[in-house]
Amino acid sequence: MDTLANVAHGFGVALLPINLLYCFIGVFIGTLVGVLPGIGPISAMSLLLPVTLSGTPESGIIMMAGIYYGSMYGGSTTSILVNIPGEAASVVTCIDGHQMAKQGRAGPALGISAFGSFIAGTFALVALMLVAPKLAGIAIAFGPAEYFSLMVLGLVVLTFLTQGSMPKALLMACIGVVLGLIGLDSITAQPRLTFGRMELIDGIGLVPVVMGLFGVAEVLLNTEQVLKRDIINTKITQLLPNKADWQASAGPVARGTLLGFLLGILPGGGAVVASFASYALEKRLSKTPERFGHGAIEGVAGPESANNAAAGGAFIPLMTLGIPPNVVMALLLGAFVIHGLQPGPLLITQNPGLFWGIVASMYIGNLMLLVLNLPMIGMWVQLLKLPYNILFPLIILFTILGVYCSSNNVFDVYVMIAFGVIGYFMRKLGFEPAPLVLAFVLGPMMENNLRKSLILSQGDLWTFVQRPISATCLVFALVLLIAPLLPTLRRKRELVALDEGA
Amino acid sequence: MSRKILGKVFGTAMVAAGMLLSVAAHAQDYPTKPITLIVPWPAGGSTDISMRAIADSASKVLGQPIVIDNKAGGGGTVGPATMAAAAKPDGYTISQIPITVFRLPLMQEVSWDPAKDFTYIVHLTGYTFGVTTSAESQFKSWKDVIDFAKANPGKVTYATPGTGTSLHIGMEQIAAMSGIKLTQVPFKGGAETNAAVLGQHTMLQADSTGWRPLVDAGKLKLLMVWTGARSPNYPDVPTLKELGYPMVYDSPFGVAGPKGMDPKIVAKLHDAFKKAVEDPAVIATLAKYDMVPNYKNTEDYKKFVVEVTDSERKVIDTLGLAKK
Amino acid sequence: MNNDHNVKLRLGNSELWGGLIGLALGGFVIWQGLKLKLGTINDPGSGYVLFYTGILMCVFAAAIIVSAVTEGGPTLASRWENARWTKPLLLIACLTAFSFALEPLGFLLSSIPLMLVLLRVIDPVRWTLAIPVAVLVPSGMWWVLKRLLLIQLPSGMFGIG
Repeated sequence: MDTLANVAHGFGVALLPINLLYCFIGVFIGTLVGVLPGIGPISAMSLLLPVTLSGTPESGIIMMAGIYYGSMYGGSTTSILVNIPGEAASVVTCIDGHQMAKQGRAGPALGISAFGSFIAGTFALVALMLVAPKLAGIAIAFGPAEYFSLMVLGLVVLTFLTQGSMPKALLMACIGVVLGLIGLDSITAQPRLTFGRMELIDGIGLVPVVMGLFGVAEVLLNTEQVLKRDIINTKITQLLPNKADWQASAGPVARGTLLGFLLGILPGGGAVVASFASYALEKRLSKTPERFGHGAIEGVAGPESANNAAAGGAFIPLMTLGIPPNVVMALLLGAFVIHGLQPGPLLITQNPGLFWGIVASMYIGNLMLLVLNLPMIGMWVQLLKLPYNILFPLIILFTILGVYCSSNNVFDVYVMIAFGVIGYFMRKLGFEPAPLVLAFVLGPMMENNLRKSLILSQGDLWTFVQRPISATCLVFALVLLIAPLLPTLRRKRELVALDEGA
Repeated sequence: MSRKILGKVFGTAMVAAGMLLSVAAHAQDYPTKPITLIVPWPAGGSTDISMRAIADSASKVLGQPIVIDNKAGGGGTVGPATMAAAAKPDGYTISQIPITVFRLPLMQEVSWDPAKDFTYIVHLTGYTFGVTTSAESQFKSWKDVIDFAKANPGKVTYATPGTGTSLHIGMEQIAAMSGIKLTQVPFKGGAETNAAVLGQHTMLQADSTGWRPLVDAGKLKLLMVWTGARSPNYPDVPTLKELGYPMVYDSPFGVAGPKGMDPKIVAKLHDAFKKAVEDPAVIATLAKYDMVPNYKNTEDYKKFVVEVTDSERKVIDTLGLAKK
Repeated sequence: MNNDHNVKLRLGNSELWGGLIGLALGGFVIWQGLKLKLGTINDPGSGYVLFYTGILMCVFAAAIIVSAVTEGGPTLASRWENARWTKPLLLIACLTAFSFALEPLGFLLSSIPLMLVLLRVIDPVRWTLAIPVAVLVPSGMWWVLKRLLLIQLPSGMFGIG
């Protein structure tokens, strides 16, 4: 029972007053940057990296980690309240979360995402303690071929995100892939679709695209309705999820947690894929899939648990192999190295106090987040009572600031405004933005890994089928694609037709 | 309340008007706001962390924070290229300049001219490169790789942090000298190449010392290093020269700004960075990645750029990688 | 659904237009893909995936056009029926003007007027409320970002902000 002794030792470190303080500062800043659209954990952590130099390595890293999982809690708030995702992993929360808010159920939506996040975060930590070294293998089992197939699976999930016409959704996805490919090709170092604009060499940022398509377009769309005061006039009935909500959410939270944790271990778009995949899974399993997109609590509970569990899973490759699976983890790696520590296979044995201390602090941090977030739900819901003619200009201002701050680049503000206008016309013509965003994230990774796999296999396409993990992903993708086409085809068509007629 | 803020706005306007009048004294006052240092590599990599340590030390000399902006991609050229095209030469945007900035223009059409588009400030240090393989791999030494590659041309794959990086050029040069054919698989940065070789997706990894914790833990095997002398951390690992390749690859790097910077600002930055590479704390951080300070002043750095461009041109021509 | 709003092969068919725009974009992507070189299957070039994505775009756009022609679709006019189309248009104009003003004027000088105009355009807020909100919120945000978080906002030619 080494683990138990280690955990006890870890809590001893984490419960030191100074570490508790740093943990609190971390999760507080994390919640704040999560709620503010645009400013994400990456900007906050890079800004605060030098600050961590002054304290002990434990406190610095505890704070940085706190910002990361704290922002995962906060991210859902703006998605639900104003339909602007704070980051790619909460795009999918907008779909049903904002519908719930429109129906006066913002409280339960916020509540279930806080509880779901807590449960998922806690589970991920327990798993991190018990099986981290064993799961490290998953991160490296994925080579280019496996990534390609996983991305294909991710893109197939698209078909579950659409409520309207399938060709339109697929066209949007293709446009997303193309937009994602803008910039220097990382394999040949050739500029693609940059039209000689230097600002495009780096590609288009995810934040301006998401803020434009969701935030600005949403405002444009809402201003054209004369008296659409549905958010404001609906009576807010409850602040926390009731028994029925819990019953509906239990399954999605459990499945989302497991899915998120496993996908979070993978370098790359783990958290994003996890949240989209969880949504698709819940819609597929649901007896009433037509409720999705119209305020189904399962569509909030699943993805929100998934992205928090993914945040926990992401620590595994970093702590056990020294391989950061995303930019945030890379910053954390930086924090380790600044303090003279090198995460890797030897970290846990050479520095048990640090490793277990950080894990224990994350547990405490998750608890702090729950305590911090539940009372705030009432406050957030009050925000919805702001008259829309004041709320909309404020949203525009916040998106502009958020986009600017995430890159310090005025060009990104132009990109956001352009995508706002495009998004407005897209929605007027019945094209949805969610498939575009998912493809925008996954497309470039799919392209890059496809090309790397083909270089590795010397042009042999069978490589995708011969490798077991890759083949499994492709089989799942195929099943997901074909299954809904067979028996329920007619029923779904009718539902869609009803939607359009209504 | 509103009056207070209005007063503040008015006050700010006055300050701003005052600033307008004092533009002439700009170079003397420099720096008056945080400086952005573009690091064209992903956050957390060896370059990123050593540049953060250097920047941290330099910012103490300058009295203003230096904000690191990671603009990765294109083998480390996207960041400097973006700076050359978009940033003002006011000293508030500078960039780390990896050797690919000089090399890539020789290989293909690019948007910048290394001889004209930058104001070179100071040369700092270089990397330790090495070739590794998985501990479970059939290769025990570099000779095994050669033997296998001779029998199976093109079958040996190696992961690099990008096309046109020193690792890519170096490996191709080694292959040409040994009469073998290797296949390059370009990844994005050290985290990805580590995972690729660890999972045996590629047979070899050619990268800077990001592999160190994995080699120390016995998960990866270091086959050779590309420095002039053996690394003090790995005294048993042969250098390129010992293996019969008369080369040293350390991909030296420095810092530059956009073209047309005020020489006074360049001097201030130069002095700050010079102090930084002399700082024991920075030297200690660099040592973690087997890097040694390699200071060159502004003038020497300019000369060095010309020399490097010439020698690179020769290598690229012989390898047949030059742009058509 | 009202039949007046559902037209087939007519200029006003919004579905048809959506499809045609998609087709044009697809064609453009194919052309760009070819320009960037497809490479070989052993070593796919920069334009490889672009080219095939372009083809897919054309296929999906064609599917949209076919269903627009055979099944018909709502007219462009009906999409904007009962909507105050002038409001989004005004908003787009404001945002465009703002994006041109942001760099030369700086954050404070461009965002305070933007806020004021937005507050009055969407659904007029009374001046006594609009002015304080338009001045206080951008200034407050500016102060937090610039002073507390040390984030640089565009200051413009007058150096304000």
